[in-house]
Amino acid sequence: MALLDLKVNGQEAQVEAPDTALLLDVLRERLFLTGAKRGCETSHCGCCTVRVDGMAVHSCVVLAARCQGKEITTVEGCGDGMELDRLQRLFLEHGAVQCGYCGPGMLMAAKALLERNPQPTLDEVKKGLDGNLCRCTGYTPIFDAILAYSRGA
Amino acid sequence: MADDYRVIGTPVVRPDGAEMISGQAVYGPDVTQPGMLWGKILRSPLPHARIRSIDVEKARALPGVTVISAHDVPDRRYGYAIEDEQIFAVEKVRYAGEPVAAAAAPDEERALEALSLIDVEYEELPAVFTAAEGARDGAPLVHEELGPARSVYLASWNPVPGTNIIHQASHHRGDVDAALARADYVFEDTFHASQIHHCYMEPHATLASVRGSEVTVWTCSQEVFQLRTLLAGLFAIPESRMRVINTKVGGGFGGKIEPRLEPVAVALSMHSRKPVKMVMTRAEEFTAAAGSTPATVTVKTGVMKDGTLAARDIDFLWDTGAHAEGLPPSNRAMKDGNGPYRVHDLRISSTLVYTNKMRGTQLRGLGVPEGAFAIESQMDMIAERLGMDPLELRLKNILQEGDINSIDDVVQSIGLQECLESVAREIGWGEPKPPNVGRGLAVIAKSPTTHSSISAAYVQFNEDGSAQVLVGASEIGQGMTVVMCQIAAEVLGLPVEQVGISSADTATTPYDRGTFSSRVTFYTGMAVKIAAEDARNQLLDVASRMVEIPREDLAVAEERVVSPVHPELSLTFREVLERAHTSERPILGRGTYGGKGDYPTLPHKAQRKEYVPGWKYAAQAVEAEIDEETGIIRVRRIASAHDVGKSLNPTSVDGQIVGGVVMGLGYALHERLQFDNGRIVNPSFMDYKIPSSQEIPEIAPIAVEVPLPEGPFGAKGIGELAIVGIAPAIGNAIHQVLGVRLKELPLFPERVLEAVESQRKDHGG
Ligand code: FES
Ligand code: FES
Repeated sequence: MALLDLKVNGQEAQVEAPDTALLLDVLRERLFLTGAKRGCETSHCGCCTVRVDGMAVHSCVVLAARCQGKEITTVEGCGDGMELDRLQRLFLEHGAVQCGYCGPGMLMAAKALLERNPQPTLDEVKKGLDGNLCRCTGYTPIFDAILAYSRGA
Repeated sequence: MADDYRVIGTPVVRPDGAEMISGQAVYGPDVTQPGMLWGKILRSPLPHARIRSIDVEKARALPGVTVISAHDVPDRRYGYAIEDEQIFAVEKVRYAGEPVAAAAAPDEERALEALSLIDVEYEELPAVFTAAEGARDGAPLVHEELGPARSVYLASWNPVPGTNIIHQASHHRGDVDAALARADYVFEDTFHASQIHHCYMEPHATLASVRGSEVTVWTCSQEVFQLRTLLAGLFAIPESRMRVINTKVGGGFGGKIEPRLEPVAVALSMHSRKPVKMVMTRAEEFTAAAGSTPATVTVKTGVMKDGTLAARDIDFLWDTGAHAEGLPPSNRAMKDGNGPYRVHDLRISSTLVYTNKMRGTQLRGLGVPEGAFAIESQMDMIAERLGMDPLELRLKNILQEGDINSIDDVVQSIGLQECLESVAREIGWGEPKPPNVGRGLAVIAKSPTTHSSISAAYVQFNEDGSAQVLVGASEIGQGMTVVMCQIAAEVLGLPVEQVGISSADTATTPYDRGTFSSRVTFYTGMAVKIAAEDARNQLLDVASRMVEIPREDLAVAEERVVSPVHPELSLTFREVLERAHTSERPILGRGTYGGKGDYPTLPHKAQRKEYVPGWKYAAQAVEAEIDEETGIIRVRRIASAHDVGKSLNPTSVDGQIVGGVVMGLGYALHERLQFDNGRIVNPSFMDYKIPSSQEIPEIAPIAVEVPLPEGPFGAKGIGELAIVGIAPAIGNAIHQVLGVRLKELPLFPERVLEAVESQRKDHGG
């Protein structure tokens, strides 16, 4: 067991967890931030995507201990109170959320992409989401939402 | 006029969208209860083996751990169609992955440790791994006794005792043999559809809590009421003490209909007297949940020189694995196997066989994709031989209004020709294209849901004049919540934001058969419409007493009671509700809908069954580039046109189409559960690839609106068909480019190359 100092969504949190604890499990089980989801054990689905120092990572393969001193952002850090942010609203308006299980991870991957590349082409969007699977939407509405965001729609 | 709707037909955003995209929605794996334990299942490593002994003593010695096996649970069989399953294997295991024992502990690691301490001694038995092997005389038996069947299936159930054939059926019209003999050409081909996995992103997850005599189960299910009935029966408690609460469901596609973790979780909670949570790993999903029910399909079609289809004889051989959840797909193929074609002399037979593998169950389209791959591939083979354009051949033979379909119903409200013509136009059918690019078509149909497809709804006015819809159908991502709110809002004269909707809970929402077979828009939608009309009428009754104007002269509009005869009248809903709530009674509208008839077996006319409305029709077209050197297929564009009756929410309709098309792409090109001696060898997203963002072509969803008079505002269901036609359409495009016909799914590049190679040999030799 170790005492970890984490900064999640701008707030300091101290968590007791084994050295081997994965970021996803710490977020979900200790901090009750269940927005990041688990969809696999092999780092292939992206449902667990959060941002660490701006980078989109699969939190199911990142050790929580390695995230100390870094800025961790989860879906719970987006929007303001009951207000969604613009990308979240565009996701809904474009039908990018069906069952929604991939949604939080997709959103975080999309945010990392848009920060890196504010005007992505469709191919760049497809590439940027390569680590995130969605079984419901067929992806197209997700692409549309991201492109609409970059157009300033 | 249809276009006068205020809310219907507009792209309203889902009421539950915000909670999902903000990460606050509670899915199965997110549920917790104070003091809960984690449950884990010990599964059989062998496909077929006698259990000599199970020793749980060492595991039980661990502190804080509960361990159970077959001895500790009711000795009862269960299943929605055929009762062929028990909570844990009794005497023998029938597939690698079958539950043998389970443990609950304060954390998952401890539960797994307990499982590792359980000793099971097996004696391996000879096994069968394909339907053909299973159906052979003298094959090892997966189940020594067949059945029993649940009552709704009893009349049509036809097992062959002493074999692995759990169901066999045949439907015959006219004189097929004579018609085939008269035909100018007869085509006979055999096709194989592979077993794919649903791959909902959310794994199965359940939390069961037994408190006193009450059992509560939170679970991500497509059918909470059927699940309640099954669990209550299994544990012999009244349904009034068994409460099933739907969590948010992270995708279902047919894979979350029948029970998976729930019986084990309830048993563990009963024994530990603590809430028990269970979540499947992805590997468990792939090896022990279920896949689609794969089939080998042999089609014999007789055709006249002018392209008229003269007769068809279709034979389905289904591999249901160790449990008979393949019964619904095999039954559906009996109705839908011929596709949307006019064929008088017709025979369809279906044989469902047990094997020692993980079960096949329903998967989006259940039984339709398997048949359509065969029929739609063969249609192009016929066209080629006759020198006809595949589009012309289809236009000549597809069902039209007033035709008699495969099950002797008169075809009504069909927009299939328009679907076909619009996808042909969209894909540029007949226009020039590069030599390595092919285009392919498919037309498809699915019959309405059958047996007891019933739904109920309440629509209740709140005190401020807003309204609440209560339904027990499951939202699994299809967008049911928004569509139900739209239906109620339209009827009640409310803005859609003023309508709230509950999530399925057997203790609080009225009965619904559940979410499957594209039935909710139609059945639940009708119940909501009727309930909303009832609520509106009750509201007008109160208003009528308040203003002393007869109800017939009153109407609702924009949150007010108005009257065409008294233009000056304007009463807000809030005012009426205040009166209702203070000096009359609350307003609770009630709606039930049961459809019009039922045909669980065929031929249904012989049983004097009524016409059931709600057939679904679609046409799909693809354009694909094929690399002759590598066999790699790159799909460039897809058009998918669906006769939706009336599009209630264009965003949801397009979403269902595009999502289904992409699932169809995976089914066509690379998805397949791969077995080695009954064990699945690709149980991860690394080895079982579903379509990723990188392989998405341009997709044109098209909604064709031929209203269904019986449906809510003319709507039909839409959820499934988009998956169906992609595989044959791509197969047809490959044929156009390379002249080879692939008869087995998926259309792997190496299969393309093999086909090219064997064609070369044939021509050379
Ligand atoms: S849970 Fe699947 S990638 Fe992390
Ligand atoms: S919306 Fe269901 S997995 Fe993406």
